[in-house]
Amino acid sequence: MSPPTETNADAAETNANSSETKANSSETNADAPGESEGATDAAEYAVELDGITKRFGDVVANDGVDMAVERGTVHALVGENGAGKTTLMSVLYGLYRPDEGEVRIDGDPVRFGSPRDAIDAGVGMIHQHFQLVDPMTVTQNVVLGHEPTASGLVDEASARADIESICSTYGFDVDRYLDTRVEQLGVGVQQRVEIIKSLYRGADVLILDEPTAVLTPNEVTALFDVMNQLTEQGRSLVFITHKLEEALEVADRVTVLRDGAVVGTVEADATTRGELARMMVGRDVLFERRPRETAPGHPALRVSALRVRDDRGLEQVRGVDFTVREGEVFGVAGVEGNGQSELVEAVTGLRAAESGGIEFDGDDIAGLSRRERIETGVAYVPEDRQERGIVGEYDLVRNAALGNQTIEPYADGWFLDWGAIREHADAIIDEYDVQPADSEAEARSLSGGNQQKFIVGRELERAPRLLVASHPTRGVDIGSIEFIHDRLREMRDAGVAVLLVSSKLDEVQLLSDRTAVMFEGEFVDVVDPDDVTEEQLGLMMAGETSGSGGTEAESDTEPGAVETDGEGEP
Amino acid sequence: MSGTAGGARAALDRAADRMVDATAVERFVIAVASTALALAFGAVVVAVSGYDAVEFMSALLYGAVGNLQNVAFTLRQSTMLVLAGVAVAVAFRAGVFNIGVQGQFVVGGFATTLTILFLAPHLPRGTVGGVLLMLFGTVAAVIAGGAYAAVPGVMKAYADANEVITTIMLNFIANGVVFYLIDGSLRPPGTSSPNTPSFPDYVGLPPFAFGSSSFSVIGLGVALLAVAVVYVVVARTGFGYDLVTSGYQESAAAYSGVDPKRMVVATMTFSGMIAGVCGALFAIMILGYYTDPATFPRFGFDAIAVSLLAANNPLGVVPAGLLFGGLDAGGQYIGFTLDVPAELIDGIVGIVVLFVATPELFRIAGRFGGLGGGRE
Repeated sequence: MSPPTETNADAAETNANSSETKANSSETNADAPGESEGATDAAEYAVELDGITKRFGDVVANDGVDMAVERGTVHALVGENGAGKTTLMSVLYGLYRPDEGEVRIDGDPVRFGSPRDAIDAGVGMIHQHFQLVDPMTVTQNVVLGHEPTASGLVDEASARADIESICSTYGFDVDRYLDTRVEQLGVGVQQRVEIIKSLYRGADVLILDEPTAVLTPNEVTALFDVMNQLTEQGRSLVFITHKLEEALEVADRVTVLRDGAVVGTVEADATTRGELARMMVGRDVLFERRPRETAPGHPALRVSALRVRDDRGLEQVRGVDFTVREGEVFGVAGVEGNGQSELVEAVTGLRAAESGGIEFDGDDIAGLSRRERIETGVAYVPEDRQERGIVGEYDLVRNAALGNQTIEPYADGWFLDWGAIREHADAIIDEYDVQPADSEAEARSLSGGNQQKFIVGRELERAPRLLVASHPTRGVDIGSIEFIHDRLREMRDAGVAVLLVSSKLDEVQLLSDRTAVMFEGEFVDVVDPDDVTEEQLGLMMAGETSGSGGTEAESDTEPGAVETDGEGEP
Repeated sequence: MSGTAGGARAALDRAADRMVDATAVERFVIAVASTALALAFGAVVVAVSGYDAVEFMSALLYGAVGNLQNVAFTLRQSTMLVLAGVAVAVAFRAGVFNIGVQGQFVVGGFATTLTILFLAPHLPRGTVGGVLLMLFGTVAAVIAGGAYAAVPGVMKAYADANEVITTIMLNFIANGVVFYLIDGSLRPPGTSSPNTPSFPDYVGLPPFAFGSSSFSVIGLGVALLAVAVVYVVVARTGFGYDLVTSGYQESAAAYSGVDPKRMVVATMTFSGMIAGVCGALFAIMILGYYTDPATFPRFGFDAIAVSLLAANNPLGVVPAGLLFGGLDAGGQYIGFTLDVPAELIDGIVGIVVLFVATPELFRIAGRFGGLGGGRE
């Protein structure tokens, strides 16, 4: 299996090629007749959405959306957080009824009252958060609610045979795990169980709601293989994502939503990432490395010979040394699962280090609790916002108190000053453009991007001296990424030491003053981002030391404006 | 087929939405209306069972609030249920299931008893001595209840022992050990029942208006004060925020600087301290001595229902405790006066609880279960 960075590089290359061949606008109307691609049935489209409008109160979530999915293809639905992708698919899956418009399956108009109706009509949905019962086996999960019975009892033998035949048809490896409890499986396998569950219920159309958000790069590659196998067998897929390179890699056509309306539908091999980004955001988005005017100062964070074990007792960080200076962004790149999470948790105080030193402003902080580290000025944007960064059931006021329970002026002795906290929440909402701008909104009602902006705002407004940002733009749309990056640069220029961990190479390349590449718990190398190409970094992420640091390759790239994985136009 | 299913679902969604949006006043009105509806429904059940429904219902009402003595009994039961209910609610809010309030209550009351009996010879007789004995006794109950609850807390935090199981087991242990000590060492010579000696007669709470030997307004005041303290701690302090956040999302609490293990121990201790106050009041206000805990009312278990009815809100525990106290008093009165099977009384009480709890269940379902339309 190829390392994920190569996959990215390939995708970027494809884009570059296609952009050369592109003569004029490749936008086509969703209603325009497309070529019939191996469709043998009378109806050419597996799914047609015609003028779908869905309102929630005054908010128009979908505004006259047209979309048609050809049989046996992958149709990507892209758009920023809150563009209306999930609402549209919830209409198709019977969770919402549209206020206007018509849904047609195989050319026949349908009205779904519930997901059960959609499943009966052959529409399945793979949710971002899996709908599996953890303590039950794979077989039990697949047949749950649709159990085959023999004389009143669940006929497990026939269920097993059916699942095995599905697995062999699509080349899935899941039949190995039929008697394994779901909680013991990796995320990628769980996702395939979800897919099999839908297929078992006879789904012809599968909706995948941001399926890659929870996957590692290798698992993403495996998922794309699965998707290709499904379309080869005549299934039709709707692939919801906001990652453009993924849409371009796996989809046949791409529909772009913005503010609830369709901006356009394009053939995947006739567009570029830049064009899609422009359609999505409504303006040019330029991600480029900017020369900085300030210079790093004194060392702030010194980590030496750090070793950290994970929950299972395995050593995940194996002797790491580095220093982050004031006003410096120290980036840590790497494929997820190579010890970055444990490194960050050890620095922020969520996990005790096995051995080694963590010094902050000359003081040893390795023995301090998480709360004490917050109090000494360590801010932390966590990698998993739903788990750690916010409490979904709290409103934004109460979320603004998270981590500030002992910080003045929000805490006054034993008591919390809710007035001050409310003002703080309003200030974050205002300054970081959190939508909806209502501090009493429940945090979980916000889109992922807005949740992230709130967290970033709360952490940066602590006026920290060290900021640990772990995947600060994960799951965030392009416009918000740009915003968060700007804020990180401002912090850096204000003299804050920033430890940035990201699995997105372009992000690390864009922001870091120095980049460490982490592999199997160790730093492969620490390099100057200007001196390496993404290909070289990719090799280092796979564990290969580059030897001479890769300064030779520099002649290809303009210094100070490193091309960032095709996010901007070449 | 799908039409009717969809319609039913839509009706449920609407109900959940209305319950989620209901204000405190609306919810109170709903609760009162539910009680009335439940009593009407219960009357039908009683009549169908072949008993006099009017007599049954008037006895239930009379037993709860019919005369001063009955009101006193209702308030006495309510006082206990409110205190035990707050103890349960605090733990549940933090996501810790303290099923051991009964045991902590037993241990707390026993600590009060020991303190009063052993200190009484060393303190002056009379009112001052009585007040001092009661204060020391209550402090001892708070410490003992907290410590007894800390044990399962430590076991959960540091040895991963499920607190539901350990607290239930510790209830039995509390009963057994307390009985053993009373029967073996504290029973006055020559008596046959497993009772401790009575407290000195200057230990006890003045009955004030009610003239009851087992209820005092001061006891109710202590319970309400405990509710107020818990409410302030939960809503206004950093500790309360840590506690509630741990209940909602432990990983977010850890991120914000809470040590999850210590939090579990602290929560259990806090809960057990309140249960200890309940035990102290039971020993001082109601018994005036101590006896075999197996004969005690099961306040610690009824408190779980009280807390759930109050949606684990400390303030909500007060009306919920009053309702349960009234039903308990009324039910006991029926048991003494009417020739009605105990099961029927329990059944009617159960109907009332069910009717009152249902709107709250809708609220909880609407808020956490995804019932209710248009909420993402």
